[in-house]
Amino acid sequence: MSEPDSVADGQEHPLDPRAIPLQRITGGLFTAAVALGSAVALGIALTVGDDIPGSVRALLPAAWLVLASVAGVMAVRWPAVSYRHTAYRVDDQGIEIRRGVYWRVVINLPRSRVQHIDVSQGPLDRRYGLGTLVLYTAGTDHAKVELGGLEHGRALRIREHLLPSGMDDAV
Amino acid sequence: MRSELRLHPATLLFGLWTQVKNFAVPAILVVVGASRSSGPGDVSRWMPGMPPWMSNGWEVWLLVLLIPAALVTVARYLSFRLRYEEHEIVIRTGLIFRNERHVPYSRIQNVDAIQNVFHRMLQVVEVRVETGGGKEEEARLSVVSREACEELRRQVFRKRSPLAAADPDAPPQTVAPEVEGQTLLHLSLRDVLLCGLLENKGMVVIGAAYGLTWETGIVDRFWAGLFGNDTYGQGFFRAIYGFVFEGDPLPAVPIALGAALGIALLLFVRLVSMVWAFVRLYDFRLTRMGDDLRTTYGLFTQVTTTVPIRRVQTLIVSAGPIHRWLKRATVRVETAGGVGKENTAANVREWLAPLILQADVPELLRQAVPGLDLSHLDWQPLHPRAFKRALKPNLIMTAFMTLLAAVVIGWGAVGILMLTLPWAILSARQYVRHLAWAESDEVVVMRSGWIWQEVTIARANKIQAVTLHQSPFDRRAAMARVRVDTAGASPMAHRIDIPYLDGEVARALHHRLSAHAANSAFRW
Repeated sequence: MSEPDSVADGQEHPLDPRAIPLQRITGGLFTAAVALGSAVALGIALTVGDDIPGSVRALLPAAWLVLASVAGVMAVRWPAVSYRHTAYRVDDQGIEIRRGVYWRVVINLPRSRVQHIDVSQGPLDRRYGLGTLVLYTAGTDHAKVELGGLEHGRALRIREHLLPSGMDDAV
Repeated sequence: MRSELRLHPATLLFGLWTQVKNFAVPAILVVVGASRSSGPGDVSRWMPGMPPWMSNGWEVWLLVLLIPAALVTVARYLSFRLRYEEHEIVIRTGLIFRNERHVPYSRIQNVDAIQNVFHRMLQVVEVRVETGGGKEEEARLSVVSREACEELRRQVFRKRSPLAAADPDAPPQTVAPEVEGQTLLHLSLRDVLLCGLLENKGMVVIGAAYGLTWETGIVDRFWAGLFGNDTYGQGFFRAIYGFVFEGDPLPAVPIALGAALGIALLLFVRLVSMVWAFVRLYDFRLTRMGDDLRTTYGLFTQVTTTVPIRRVQTLIVSAGPIHRWLKRATVRVETAGGVGKENTAANVREWLAPLILQADVPELLRQAVPGLDLSHLDWQPLHPRAFKRALKPNLIMTAFMTLLAAVVIGWGAVGILMLTLPWAILSARQYVRHLAWAESDEVVVMRSGWIWQEVTIARANKIQAVTLHQSPFDRRAAMARVRVDTAGASPMAHRIDIPYLDGEVARALHHRLSAHAANSAFRW
């Protein structure tokens, strides 16, 4: 099943770089939604609450501004940081996924333990040509392992590679 | 060979009874509640305009709701067919919405039989067939005759055996199927009671009873007596509070009463637990039938569970302080079938041995995992600096508690610090000392615990995923944590999760285990 340009090269690969702008868009949208929501809530609280002391009145919007700008900067910066710390490696034995910036984890999924695989694509994924590989095992903590930000065609090839090739792997 | 199995006619009886039970308990509660508040059957208060013939004895009308339930039961009885095919059982259900379910023999994890008192009177049994998938059992035959149950077992396990022979994971010393069972463990009455004493299931029983009695209002009065919500100054805890914070006289009599009550409650809980064990585990017997481990137990409701040996995912041996003092231990087994629900067969199937002499544990483990020999394992300790790492969270906790105490009671906090600091150091020291791991070609083993000791044995060819974790603290100390994921692990159970390993050791272990898992085909 492995072709010459097989995905199972045993090398560590980063995700597709296009995952970074995509993450920025989704993160930015989320941050904007939360910021807008909290701004509205704050505005209502300040107009309705007459007994709020003046110092608090001045402090609250300032705190909001600081938090919102920190979140905004993070939404732009974080995807690149997280991208640098995410990698995967596929070989004949299975797939190894490493991720986490501060709390790091390396997940090894043997090929013979994969029950089934999804490759999913959201609307933004489609625009960028990316896909998410979702691996299912019979395990408990890792019954479902997701790897997002892969080039869609590559995700499909990894799926082809990992799926049981013959009856010898039948559970 | 095509033989068909139908449900026993007693199904109708039991099905109806279940419906009545599910329906009657809430109904009775409603009726009792209503009559307590406003006299028997007086609904006209909240349903004005109701004719008197309906408002008197309206409860009877609730029975109308039983009719659809009864129809469902009849339909289920009439439509149920089970057929033994070459490689699978085929179950057809449904009169209007037909459903045909195929369950291959090779995927069946367990066949459990449950027989309560009424089942026994009618010589019938409820059978549950489980495969690895999903939360529910794949087939529930409720109820079939005892012969049919034996037939099902025979069919399932005989059809499976040629597969098992071709299975590389199968035990090498495969015993000829259908030999007479070899009893591995039998609990005497004394053992059963001891088990109840040690297991302490009393709180579970009492919890259930509490839920029931809560409706009646007894509990409210009890708590009122304790906290004195209604009668300020008389409640037990109020008296204590008054003594500590407001300089009231020491409430000697309530304290003595409270202590006596507490001790009595503890004893009562243990007693309830023993009764629970007597009813639940009476005549517990573990036998080996060919390639299966079979357990039977129960005083009123008799349960027979069957775990094929090659379906064993994890074994857990645990021993509390009293267990060790009496040289006993508890052995549990995890399979992939039906996980996580309370009171299912899976929940009780866990018991491979509710109570066993420690000396007999190795032999039992050898039966459950062929070729396993714990005595030859090479136990590896944690990283030499693991104690320092383990101590830190304990110290932070101690500091936090002392600070909290300082805010509340002032200088008395020093006393708290004197008590908690040695404990923090001791528990960290003992935690690290008792944690060890080992691996062989067959299994990965981790033992842990100082007061409550547990050993988890995972079969290497049942490993689903291996992960290596590194927190920022781990990276500073060049350490790592290795976790092993298996099928069917219950959320609360002791898992293979080895912290504070040397980074290199952890990486090597992680690599070895995943390679081992990859090179062995997983067969549920």
